[in-house]
Amino acid sequence: MSDRPAGACDVLVIDDEAVVREGVTRVLAADGLAVATAADTAGGLVHPALAGCRLVLCDLMLPDRSGLELLRELRRRRPELPLIAITGYATQDQMEAAESAGATLFLPKPFDEDELLSAVRRALEPGAPPFARRR
Amino acid sequence: MTSRIDTQIILAVGAVTALTIGTLGVLVVRAHRAALIAELQTSADQLSETIKSATLHDMLANSRENLQRQMDTIGSQRGIRNVRVYNKEGRIVFSSDRSEVGRSVDKRAEACYACHAADRPLEHLSITARARDFRDTDGAHLLGIINPIANQPSCSEASCHAHSPEARVLGVLDVSMSLAEVDRNIRLSQIRMAGIATVAIVAASLILFWLNRRLVVLPVQTLVSATRRVAEGDLATRIPVTARHELGDLARAFNEMVARLAEDQRKIVQADKLASVGRLAAGVAHEINNPLTGVLTYASFLLKRAGDQPELRADLEVIVRETKRCREIVRGLLDFARQTTPRRQPTDINAVVRHAVSIVTNEVALRHVELAVDLAQGLPELAVEADRLEQVFVNLLVNAADAAPEEGGRVTISSRQVNVPAAGHSRITSATCPKGCDLIDPTLRIRGVPAIRVLRACAGREAILHLDPTYGRFGHLAAEACDEGLLADFACARCRTSLALTDAGGVCPRCGAGLFGVNVPGAGQVAWCRRIGCHFTLWEAEEQRGLRAVVEIAVEDNGRGMTGAELAQLFEPFFTTKGARGTGLGLAVSWGIVESHGGTIDVVSEAERGTRFAVRLPLTVAAREA
Repeated sequence: MSDRPAGACDVLVIDDEAVVREGVTRVLAADGLAVATAADTAGGLVHPALAGCRLVLCDLMLPDRSGLELLRELRRRRPELPLIAITGYATQDQMEAAESAGATLFLPKPFDEDELLSAVRRALEPGAPPFARRR
Repeated sequence: MTSRIDTQIILAVGAVTALTIGTLGVLVVRAHRAALIAELQTSADQLSETIKSATLHDMLANSRENLQRQMDTIGSQRGIRNVRVYNKEGRIVFSSDRSEVGRSVDKRAEACYACHAADRPLEHLSITARARDFRDTDGAHLLGIINPIANQPSCSEASCHAHSPEARVLGVLDVSMSLAEVDRNIRLSQIRMAGIATVAIVAASLILFWLNRRLVVLPVQTLVSATRRVAEGDLATRIPVTARHELGDLARAFNEMVARLAEDQRKIVQADKLASVGRLAAGVAHEINNPLTGVLTYASFLLKRAGDQPELRADLEVIVRETKRCREIVRGLLDFARQTTPRRQPTDINAVVRHAVSIVTNEVALRHVELAVDLAQGLPELAVEADRLEQVFVNLLVNAADAAPEEGGRVTISSRQVNVPAAGHSRITSATCPKGCDLIDPTLRIRGVPAIRVLRACAGREAILHLDPTYGRFGHLAAEACDEGLLADFACARCRTSLALTDAGGVCPRCGAGLFGVNVPGAGQVAWCRRIGCHFTLWEAEEQRGLRAVVEIAVEDNGRGMTGAELAQLFEPFFTTKGARGTGLGLAVSWGIVESHGGTIDVVSEAERGTRFAVRLPLTVAAREA
């Protein structure tokens, strides 16, 4: 991954909890990915990294607007971009709502390093299935 | 309030009694007086007739001295005040009071008025018309009676003095008698009446007071104190129904109301428990999972990089493990809170079992528990939601591994097709009373299935009873306990129609007691024995269908087994034998999942031998929906 342009970023993490953003950043950065973060929908949608990133991790419960709306907006702007929905309220309904809003993967919180990395790798695979979930 | 009812009723009854007896008394005294006076009039009239005949001879002989003597004698008789003879002109010719002789009376005077009213003498008058009630100048109360002395041939023909033969009346005999005795009698009778009236009023009031107290005040007081007890939260309160009048109905209605209240409260507590779990789950999941994510990512990140520092590794492993335990607890809560219908697809149940086994293999191996898998081949596909049943099997396997002994622990999971009898497996999903009321109560479930709600009367107390809707099981829930061996009556809780079976077959073959039953639309009738504790039941239509095929997935361990109390609470949310290691939600969730697939979970446990959980899934589901 040394051939990526300087300043570009691989993953955009949108979550209102600082500890989640920091933990995810720490794990992904150690794996060699460049990570940018945003704390809410508005911040995510205007983030400069959004245009060039290869993956977005998005919380479904954000303070300003619903994470589902954000997913739909991201899917509209970048139809090919892998999106991982992360949430602490992992019910069947939430999973289905995330899928129909355009999420590629569903990752329930809390997750450990391995679970996070395997989800990210699966999402970044060229032949990733349209939607998958982990429990 | 009670004293006011008492006082008011007694005052009212006292007044009515006084009025009635008073009126009656006045009428009786009047009648008595009239009878006495009539009697006196008759005897006075007889007396005057006697005087007339006794003096006839002297009159004919014109023996005035003799006549006067006779008047004197008669006048001195007790009760006789005066005897007079008036001539036609109204002059007193004889009198027992000699001073009166010669005195004249006006024909218009009271004594004469009856005959001379129209200025023309009349002879034939009734006793009443000839009698008069008056007071003399001394104030003595007297009864006077006049008796006309008619002309007779012997009179006009007598040589003594000349009475013309044309005259019809020669004079008048007037007898006055004292009414003092009569007055005294009447006074006595008035006093007696007043006495009787007083006694009657007091007696009526006392009887009424006692009746009122027994029939109204005491039952109402019982009701009031029972209401207070209920208000204070004692829903076991019942009133003994002794009265057969409206207050008895009220007591019955009260008992029924409280029984329903108790039942509703039980349901509310249950519903509340579930609702709180749901709210708690959502809240906890949201609030706890974010910090847990932080802990888990950092701890697992550090663990990977702890390298050759074994102490640090060990500590970090504890953090990761415990954080993951927290995660499982939160997931358990979420699973429990979720009540969705399964998305069924034709599934190879053995594949689901194998996947569940693969999930738990490591964990089971860590505990040195041997895991045996024994799957029957050729099982039909079942219409189930694989993920959710997998969750059930994982849960049962982990529980079994936990229960297995540390040395020589063994867990077996097996699948097979079995034929099961109706008893213990067939469900009563619809039930009606003879009048057609729906008896299924969707708000109360017995082992996950909506129960059958009936009214049970036992030892004079009525209470709601929920019958176990699984045919052949007796997990009935009674709002009120009843002693074993007693005969109870069962009725529809809505229309109160008796559920007793009176036809020829309506006798329990075990104990000889009567049977009661409910109708199952399209599937005959389910009967139970009326004797408390007699576990006889018969659903002929289901028994006739014979055995039915189900797929059974059994998980067995060789642990210490469970006590009866533990078995009873097994499927209750938050019940756990694992102490801090369990959430008490696993089996409750599993039950819900199996139930939503139309299946059952059966548990057989033997002390020191182990426990066997059998999940039975109906084939009919596959046939219908696959």
